Amino acid sequence: MATITTTPGLGIRSDGGAAIRASDLLRWTLDHKLIGLQYMASSLFFFIVGGAMAMLIRWELLTPALDLMADGTQYNALMTMHGSVMIFLWIIPMMAGFGNYLVPLMLGAKDMAFPWLNAFAFWLIPPAGVLMIAGWLVGPPEAGWTSYPPLSTIFSPDGQTMWAMSLHLLGISSILGAINFVVTIRNMRPEGMTYWKMPLFVWAVLATAIIQVLATPFLTGGLTLLILDRVAGTSFFDPGSGGDVLLWQNVFWFYSHPAVYIMILPGFGMVSEVLSVHARKSVFGYRAIGLSSMSIALVGFTVWAHHMFTSLQPALRIPFMITSMIIAVPTGIKIFSWLGTIWGGKIRFTTAMLFALGFISLFVFGGIGGVMLASVPVDIHLHDTYFVVGHFHFTLFGGSVFLIFAGIYHWFPKMTGRRMDERLGQIHFWAAYVGFFFTFVPQHIAGALGLPRRVAMYDPQFTNINTVISLAAFLLGISSLVLVYNILRSLRHGEPVGGNPWRALTLEWATTSPPPPWNFRGDPVPYDDPYGYGSDEATAYLDAVDRRFPAPEEAAGA
Amino acid sequence: MNQSDNSNSLMTVVWIVVAFVLLVVGGLIIAEATPLVLPPQASAEAAQVDELFKIMMALGGSIWLLVQGAIVYSVIRFRARPGDDSDGPLIHGNSTLEFIWTLIPSITVVILSIISFQVWVDITAARDNAQHVQARGARFLWSFSYEIPGETQTVNSPVLHTWVGQPVVLSLETTDVNHAFWVPAMRIKQDLLAGRRAEARFTPVLAGEFPVVCAELCGSGHGGMQASIVVHEDEESFLAWFDDEAFIILNPPDDPAEGGELLMTAGGVAGLYACAGCHTLEALGWDAIVAPALDGVADRAATRVPGMEVERYLLRSLYFPGEFLVPGYDNLMPQHQYQDPEQANYMPLEEGVNIVAYLCTLTAGGESACNVDMIPDMMSEMGMG
Repeated sequence: MATITTTPGLGIRSDGGAAIRASDLLRWTLDHKLIGLQYMASSLFFFIVGGAMAMLIRWELLTPALDLMADGTQYNALMTMHGSVMIFLWIIPMMAGFGNYLVPLMLGAKDMAFPWLNAFAFWLIPPAGVLMIAGWLVGPPEAGWTSYPPLSTIFSPDGQTMWAMSLHLLGISSILGAINFVVTIRNMRPEGMTYWKMPLFVWAVLATAIIQVLATPFLTGGLTLLILDRVAGTSFFDPGSGGDVLLWQNVFWFYSHPAVYIMILPGFGMVSEVLSVHARKSVFGYRAIGLSSMSIALVGFTVWAHHMFTSLQPALRIPFMITSMIIAVPTGIKIFSWLGTIWGGKIRFTTAMLFALGFISLFVFGGIGGVMLASVPVDIHLHDTYFVVGHFHFTLFGGSVFLIFAGIYHWFPKMTGRRMDERLGQIHFWAAYVGFFFTFVPQHIAGALGLPRRVAMYDPQFTNINTVISLAAFLLGISSLVLVYNILRSLRHGEPVGGNPWRALTLEWATTSPPPPWNFRGDPVPYDDPYGYGSDEATAYLDAVDRRFPAPEEAAGA
Repeated sequence: MNQSDNSNSLMTVVWIVVAFVLLVVGGLIIAEATPLVLPPQASAEAAQVDELFKIMMALGGSIWLLVQGAIVYSVIRFRARPGDDSDGPLIHGNSTLEFIWTLIPSITVVILSIISFQVWVDITAARDNAQHVQARGARFLWSFSYEIPGETQTVNSPVLHTWVGQPVVLSLETTDVNHAFWVPAMRIKQDLLAGRRAEARFTPVLAGEFPVVCAELCGSGHGGMQASIVVHEDEESFLAWFDDEAFIILNPPDDPAEGGELLMTAGGVAGLYACAGCHTLEALGWDAIVAPALDGVADRAATRVPGMEVERYLLRSLYFPGEFLVPGYDNLMPQHQYQDPEQANYMPLEEGVNIVAYLCTLTAGGESACNVDMIPDMMSEMGMG
């Protein structure tokens, strides 16, 4: 069967055919797996777009003066687009892609509850992306991804309106997708799988979906007012005519702080899977991890104004400091539970595992920075500085994106029938980890020393530290190209795998890689404990799965 | 319980104690880096905020070392040895351990909240005998106004002056978009929201000059929106500066061009004009690049619109900046008006005339390109005044 490794097409099915045809990604389909891959492919595209913008930003910041950009406006447009693309077109849809692909499989279901809605939610994303990027044709938005009025109402060109319309579409997509997840998880669990026996990724998707359904309408409302102010002459945010600029900040952050958890919670779920499987040990404190996702979702609704400590009326600052401090506790519980998971295990250093471990290592730094920012007196100094930029990249890149990487290496074999190249994976990990560390740790220091964020020109005392940051950022950028190359190469040349290459207990592995159109032949019965590694029963179950869904070579030999 | 169990649990306790001591010491060492990552402590508030920062560095440093240590230890100790395909032990959790690692972080954040609250109350407390200064943010310039006792005029300055030990209360407002008034060395930051007045207070303790930075995105020139605070050694030194400025304001020059130069550097009845926020003008040391340069503007004004006099071109451009845009520049200049003294964008006509008179002197040869006496006639012809 040596011919298998040279089979044309992307990925490989157990019968030797191609797993994915590029044309599948472009057509209307109701198969949740293809929709999941559509989400992922489009997100990866926008990741490269947003990453290229980041590289231009870092290039500009090599020197204190303007050099790459003609003026500050160009820079502001670039950083506005970088933030908006990375958040709304990369991380959130990428997480939705994992959810779409994995949740029905993990539940042993044949599809999502509402397949048509699922496809519709995805197909809102490409036009939204085009609408956002096309802002450059009419004058791009330049008020930052936070788009505070009056800068975003009076001074930003028409691209700002398109930006808001784009977020409208993405918001609808997000809400529809979330409703689908809630209904699917509520109603389509297999017999015997109670809430307390669901994989933790499913728990995380459920918590995320609840946030999305409850929070996203606030963004939509705020955006509607913004668009009306811009095009219909209303004055919701114009203090000269009875409006209030603080209204936008409240509504925006009422969505956008929970959105931080929309971006990280699915990753928290993925890392629980990856750590357990590759450390060959049950997750430590299953209930605590599941419940902490829910409490983060809940408390996450009460902390929004910590983004406004320098603009909020002083008397309101302390209550929001307290809630923001409290949310560190469930996050801490998770980190300790993950450490408990690997403690005493038999750790396999796969690339997926490296990214999962790298995530814990980085995220704890982001968490500590977050507690510092939650403290009002400290935040007064640090707010809107590079300390904040460093902090949220630690949570969103060191957090969400490292977990997306871990998820890609972990589930790629399931999605394509081929393993990713481990050697390239290790190069990717170490370049990303080192590049990341020296990009975003120095940003904390520069910010604390007095460098404000969102500036194209800066005080020359920060030249050296910005040079270090930029060079490290270029390394980080290159590392991402290694990932893209690895994906493209492994689609054709990766080692073919069976149904369960990592010997994992959750249900998505108890079928072929990739799964057939309706996922399973018959109704699969989940193993009673999704993380019960280390028992004879689990070994027997995994052996049975291996016999039923063997790797192609073994099948040939049998 | 046999002997070896006893010695094992004893060793565990010893290891926990050793690890704890190492983490605490490590955290304290990390906390010693606090002054290296913060600007000079130039205010009484800065010392308190930094103390809090240091406590967090110590606690955060310990936690960081704990987690990294646990990862590194696990990676070495619990790696799968070559050829070992077996699984780890089946352990689902440990209620005591989970309780402890919920309780300790909870107590920690409660303590941090209490300390933060105390520092917050201290640094925002009202001080007696404060110096009151009006501060304005306009794209892309800061300006500070001081009342002159017994007079209606104010001393306006792009630099905030005060002296060591003098509590300062700033009343902050913006004339356009949101800005944020940040003095890193004083550890204070306050957003200026359109349509609202805000307040910031601090007490400088260190003489010297410290940067003022805009920390809220305000547009193309945001990165260049900087000013400085000069903290004089004592009140006497401050008054020496203040009295000089007040004398000039109270005894304006007769020559319109000189008056115009004064208006552009020291402001007029509505405070400082924000010209320096966007324009380059080497003669006055301005270096912003958002708007067209003003050096030699009178020469260019003569040729920009065929048949139009320099005076008229400059006057129209001053009050109606959208009329003649220089190619490559957007219509970003604040619109001034001469009718309503209550509005922040008020620029009385006599001040406008003086500014035009000054701009007329910005020629290659330094000679005025205008006949200033013509301007009033021109204005009535245009329906102004």
